[in-house]
Amino acid sequence: MADSPAGSHAHAHTAPGAMSSAVTRSQFLSLSTVGLGAMIGAVIGVPATAYLLAPVFDEVQFEEAVLGPVSSFPADPNGQFKPKAATFVEDKSLPETSATLAWVYNTGKSNSDWLASDAQFIVFSNRCMHLGCPVAASLTGFACPCHGGQYDKRGVRTAGPPIRPLDRFQWKIEDDNLVVTQRWSVDYVDGKLTYYPVKMPGQPVNVPGPEVVQEHVPDILYPNVTYEHGAVPKPQ
Amino acid sequence: MPLPIPAPPDPKAMVVATEDWVEYRTGFPTLVRRFLFRSVPPTGWFHTLGSSLLTVFILQATTGMLLAMSYDPSPTGAYESIRYITDTQTLGWLIRGMHKWGASVMVILLFLHIGRTFFYGAYKYPREMTWLTGSIIFLSVMGMGLTGYLLVWDQRAYWASVVAVNINGTAPVLGPFISKFLLAGPVFGAQTISRFYALHMLMIPGLIGAMIFVHMWLVVKLGVTPWPGRPASVEDER
Repeated sequence: MADSPAGSHAHAHTAPGAMSSAVTRSQFLSLSTVGLGAMIGAVIGVPATAYLLAPVFDEVQFEEAVLGPVSSFPADPNGQFKPKAATFVEDKSLPETSATLAWVYNTGKSNSDWLASDAQFIVFSNRCMHLGCPVAASLTGFACPCHGGQYDKRGVRTAGPPIRPLDRFQWKIEDDNLVVTQRWSVDYVDGKLTYYPVKMPGQPVNVPGPEVVQEHVPDILYPNVTYEHGAVPKPQ
Repeated sequence: MPLPIPAPPDPKAMVVATEDWVEYRTGFPTLVRRFLFRSVPPTGWFHTLGSSLLTVFILQATTGMLLAMSYDPSPTGAYESIRYITDTQTLGWLIRGMHKWGASVMVILLFLHIGRTFFYGAYKYPREMTWLTGSIIFLSVMGMGLTGYLLVWDQRAYWASVVAVNINGTAPVLGPFISKFLLAGPVFGAQTISRFYALHMLMIPGLIGAMIFVHMWLVVKLGVTPWPGRPASVEDER
């Protein structure tokens, strides 16, 4: 190193005769260590991250579920609002955790088209649209025990923190059984009940985000087919 | 000529010799001495909150490891295994109670510790990194509270977690992704409880442990913050 020019510290380790721009042995080993480390890190880290994040992109497919014979959901003889609770399993591969409950309201009418204005049933989800607690039915509508959300007989919020009406189930009658075929998130747009792909509680129906349900969607329903069950809810 | 009788071993010398042996081979005695016998400014009870937190963390880690030996993170087994721990296992009620109450104590102490740091101005130069590592510990402890709450797997645990996940879901843009990340899928399922379990007893505690090490390293390196204001000697001169 005695022949290195004074002040040229950058090249102090350059072997005699080597070109000044060449990578030194120790620089090469440093770079190799960093590069090899990065490769090992990627080999471990990329699959680990993918494994961890994969569920974020999972989507749930709604499976048809039988709620019970139509005769077990009679209309109230006095015309009162008394929906019947019907439990079913949303995801048959996870029976322990996806047991859920639908509130079946027999309107006393007889049309078996679920979208008709004189449809026989309205099938509400019991999932509160504030943060997902189970709502209970009463004569005036629905109430949530967690944070006091209140809904009227159409599932429209009347008080408390929920941000939109209760989800509804599309249904059909098959072999005299009431069958739910699809879950819908709903909201009133221009006074019309409008159906949207399912959004989680607390999330508005009309913001972009991962759409939970896209299968089994007849074109006629998505995105803007509307029907009326009642009057326009008053602005809160 | 009688053989010389060997002198009885001097206990003090043996201790010194042992310590020298360990010191020469590991350096730990110096490390411990520098850590425990360092100069600090006048301190009070408020300065004990950090070490209290360390103590509670050790308590939580210990009782948590014991609970993990009997806990079953599955939708069918979780509740029953907790009942077994509480009702059947020897001192299971005590270990579980320590873990449960220790969790609340940790959060309370954490807030007091943050308050002490804030009102002493201890987050200021040159201790910004101590504050930031403490913030990571704070968020991690909140994560422990969230993930641990579900593991009891009773109605309250289940619905509280549903609510907590849905609160995360309301965050702008990333919310739905965060909630699905926490649930390990689009809905609450068997994967959710095992994910919370892994987060609760492997990932987050590991992060907290590493951050505690950095946090304490910085405390020792930068020294304890004295009371705000002028030193007493300056006040005396007025």
